[in-house]
Amino acid sequence: MSVESEVSLDGTKLMITVKGRFDFGSHQAFRDAYERFYKVPELYVVDLKDTTYMDSSALGMLLLLRDHAGGDNAEVQVINSNPDVRKILAISNFDKLFDIS
Amino acid sequence: MAEIHLDPDVLSGLQEVMESEYPKLLDTFLDDSQKRVEALRKSRDDAKALGRIAHSFKGSSGNLGAVRLAQLCQRLEVESVGSTADLGALVDQIDHEFALVRPMYESERERFQL
Amino acid sequence: MSNLAPVLEPLTILIAEDSAADLLLLSTIIRRQGHQVLTATHGAQAVEVFTRERPQLVLMDALMPVMDGFEAARRIKQLAGEALVPIIFLTSLRESEALAQCLDAGGDDFLPKPYNPLILAAKINAMDRLRRLQATVLQQRDLIAKHHNYLLHEQRAAKAVFDKVAHSGCINAAPNIRYLQSPYALFNGDLLLAAYTPSGDMHVLLGDFTGHGLPAAVGAMPLAEVFYGMTAKGYGLAQTLREMNAKLKRILPVDMFCCATLMCLSAERRVVEVWNGGMPEGYVHEVATGKRTPLVSRHLPLGVLSAERFNDSTEVWPMALGDRVFLLSDGVLDTADVNDQLFGAERLQQVFAANREPDRLFEDIEQALAAFRGQARDDVSMVEITLQAGEPLRAAEPMYADSGQSCPLDWSVGFEFRAQTLKSYNPLPYLLQLLLEIHGLRKQSGALYSVMAELYSNALEHGVLGLDSGLKLDARGFAEYYHQRNERLAQLSSGYVRVHVQVVPTPTGGKMTLRIDDSGPGFDVEQVLARPLDVNRLSGRGLSLVRQLSSDVRWLDGGRSVCVEFYWEALA
Repeated sequence: MSVESEVSLDGTKLMITVKGRFDFGSHQAFRDAYERFYKVPELYVVDLKDTTYMDSSALGMLLLLRDHAGGDNAEVQVINSNPDVRKILAISNFDKLFDIS
Repeated sequence: MAEIHLDPDVLSGLQEVMESEYPKLLDTFLDDSQKRVEALRKSRDDAKALGRIAHSFKGSSGNLGAVRLAQLCQRLEVESVGSTADLGALVDQIDHEFALVRPMYESERERFQL
Repeated sequence: MSNLAPVLEPLTILIAEDSAADLLLLSTIIRRQGHQVLTATHGAQAVEVFTRERPQLVLMDALMPVMDGFEAARRIKQLAGEALVPIIFLTSLRESEALAQCLDAGGDDFLPKPYNPLILAAKINAMDRLRRLQATVLQQRDLIAKHHNYLLHEQRAAKAVFDKVAHSGCINAAPNIRYLQSPYALFNGDLLLAAYTPSGDMHVLLGDFTGHGLPAAVGAMPLAEVFYGMTAKGYGLAQTLREMNAKLKRILPVDMFCCATLMCLSAERRVVEVWNGGMPEGYVHEVATGKRTPLVSRHLPLGVLSAERFNDSTEVWPMALGDRVFLLSDGVLDTADVNDQLFGAERLQQVFAANREPDRLFEDIEQALAAFRGQARDDVSMVEITLQAGEPLRAAEPMYADSGQSCPLDWSVGFEFRAQTLKSYNPLPYLLQLLLEIHGLRKQSGALYSVMAELYSNALEHGVLGLDSGLKLDARGFAEYYHQRNERLAQLSSGYVRVHVQVVPTPTGGKMTLRIDDSGPGFDVEQVLARPLDVNRLSGRGLSLVRQLSSDVRWLDGGRSVCVEFYWEALA
C-alpha cells in the first residue's frame, strides 16, 4: 500500500494516487495526502489505477476527502478504477457524490 | 623467547585505575597468591584440583602483570587435563617463579608505605 | 538516538569472583565507572545476593568453589524471568566447548582476563542498552495487552447491550424468518432487525456498518431504536428511512455510514416494498417460476446524505404466498480464497441454480463458501423471509392502569391534507396515536390501522392520483402502477384527502366513525363491489379486507367518500 499526492503546477489540481490495497491501513497516509497542502485546490483527483482492493473504510476515506474539499460543493474525481473497485463504488452508489470514470 | 617476569606497564596501568586502592590490591594479590602456591603444593597428586587452582591463579597473575607466572599456570591448567607426568615439576616451577616475583611486588608495595 | 550514548543511570552490578585480587580490581574499576557494586565469592552466594538485591547486571567467573558460574547463571536467569539480566562471563576460556557452556547457561557476553577497563565499560553499556530495550518491549507489551483487554471488555459489554436492542423484535419469534449470522465475539457491524407494523406487515432491516466493534455498535443502537419505534407506530419505509438517515448523519463521523436494505413485506397486499442503499443485491424468489428478481442498490448508504438530498423512494414487487425474499451482507460475496479472489455474485448465482431444496439454501451457500475459502469470515449475514398468510394483527402497547376512566369519549375532529402534504407526509401514524387515546379501541388497533391505511391509500392513489388498480393484474403492470404513482405524486399540485373522526359513547361502550373523502372523480361503487373476490389477483384485495375488519362500510358521494364504523365494549 502507498499513497502519493501531487499538486499541478498552477496549484488548482491535486492528484492522489493509491497503490495496492485501499483499506483501513491507508487511513493516515490518505489523510496526509490532502491535508498537508496549505493551498486549497479547485479539483481533487483520486487515481485508482494501481488500486487492487477497496473496502468500506476506503469509501469512508473518500467521504472524508469530499468533506475536506467542501462537501456538496466539492469537485472530486475518482479515475481509473478497475472492474472490482468499480463494482464496490457502484453498489454504494458513490457515483451520486463523485465523478467516477 | 625473552621471559618477562613482571610487566611494568601493567603495574602503572593498575596504579592509574586503582588510585588509592593500589597498595591494597598489591597486598591482596600477595596474600592470595601465597595461599594458591600453598594449595598447589598440597594438591600435587590431585590433577583436577591443580587444574582449578591453576585456572584462578592464571587469572589474577595475568591481571597483575606477572606474565611468566600466568604462562606457567596456564600450562599447568592445560596439562592437568591430559597426562599427569610433569605436573609436579610444573608446580615446582610455579613455586619458584612466585618466589622470584614476590620481592618485586613487595618493593613496589614499599613505595606506598604510609 | 546515538549508539554511543553514555551510561544513563548508575546500575547495580553483581560481581561473582573467587579470586580476591581480581574481585578487588574489578569492583574498583566498575565503581569508578559510576556503578554500584555487589560481590560474591562463589556461585551459591551469587544466587543468594541476586535474589535479595536484584542487581541489573552480573559479572560471573566461570570456575568457582561451592557452585560454579554456569549453574549460578542458570538459576539467576530463571529468577529474572522475562526481564533481561545480562550475564557477562569473566573468563579467558579459550576452548570453544567451554564458551558454548557459558552460552548454554544463559551467558550474554565474555570478558577475558587480563581486564581492560575500556572494553569492560563498553560491554556494560552495550548490555545495558539491550536490557533497557527488553524492559521497554516488555512494558509496551504489557501496556498493549492491558489496553487490548480493556477494549475487548468494552466491546463485549457493548455487544451485550446491543444484542438486547437488536433482538427485541420478532426476528426469532416469526416462523417465516430464517437467518444466519456468523458467530462473532464482538459486534461485527452487521445488523438484522425485524418487527411487525400495527397492520401486521413485517419490516426487516439488514444493515452493515463501516467498521467493527464499538464504533459500529454505537451507530447500531439509535438505528434499532428508530426502526422498532417507528415500525410499531405504523410509519412507512420512507419516513423511517428519513429518520434513520438523519439520525446517523447527525451522530456518525463523516467517514462512517451504514449500508442497509429496508423492506416491508405485506402478506395482506401480497407485495414487498424495498429500499436498498449500498447492500449487495438481494432477491425476490418467485417459487412457482423459479424466477429471481434482484433487489438492486439504488441509493447511497444511510448516514451519508443530508436530509435535503436524501432519497427515500422505494421499489415495490408483487409476491405470492410462499415466495421468498433473500438478503445478504457483503461478507458473503467478499469471502476471499487464498489467492485473494472474491466469491462474488456469479458463484452465488451458481449456488442458487444448483439449489434443490429451498430450505437448505443457507447450508448450500455456507458449503460453497467453505469449499471456496476453507474458513469462515466473521461478518457473513443472510436472511430469508417467506411470505405467509395470517400474520397476526398486532394489538397496541399495554393498556394504562386507569381502565379508561379518563379517556375522551365524545368528540369529533377533522383534517384536510392537501397536495404539498400528500407528497411526503404520512398522516396515519399520527391518526393512529390519536385513536389509541380511546382505550376501548386498543384491542382492535391492528384492524383499525389496516382499515385506515387501506382507505387512505385508496383515497390517495385512486381518488387524488386517479390510478387504475386494474393495472396491477400482472407483474409488469404492477411495476408500472408504482412507477405512475411516484410520478403523479411528484407532480401533484392540487387535490386533498379529508379525514373525519367522530367518537360517541353508546350504552355498552362507544362507537368511532371514520370518514375519508377525496378530491377525485369517484367510482362506480355498485360495479366494484359486485366483482367476485379473487385471492390470486394482485389488485382489489383492499376492499375485501376493509369489509372483513370493520363493523360497517359505506360509500357515499359517488365513491368520493367512504365511511366505516368501529364499536367497542366498555372496559370492566
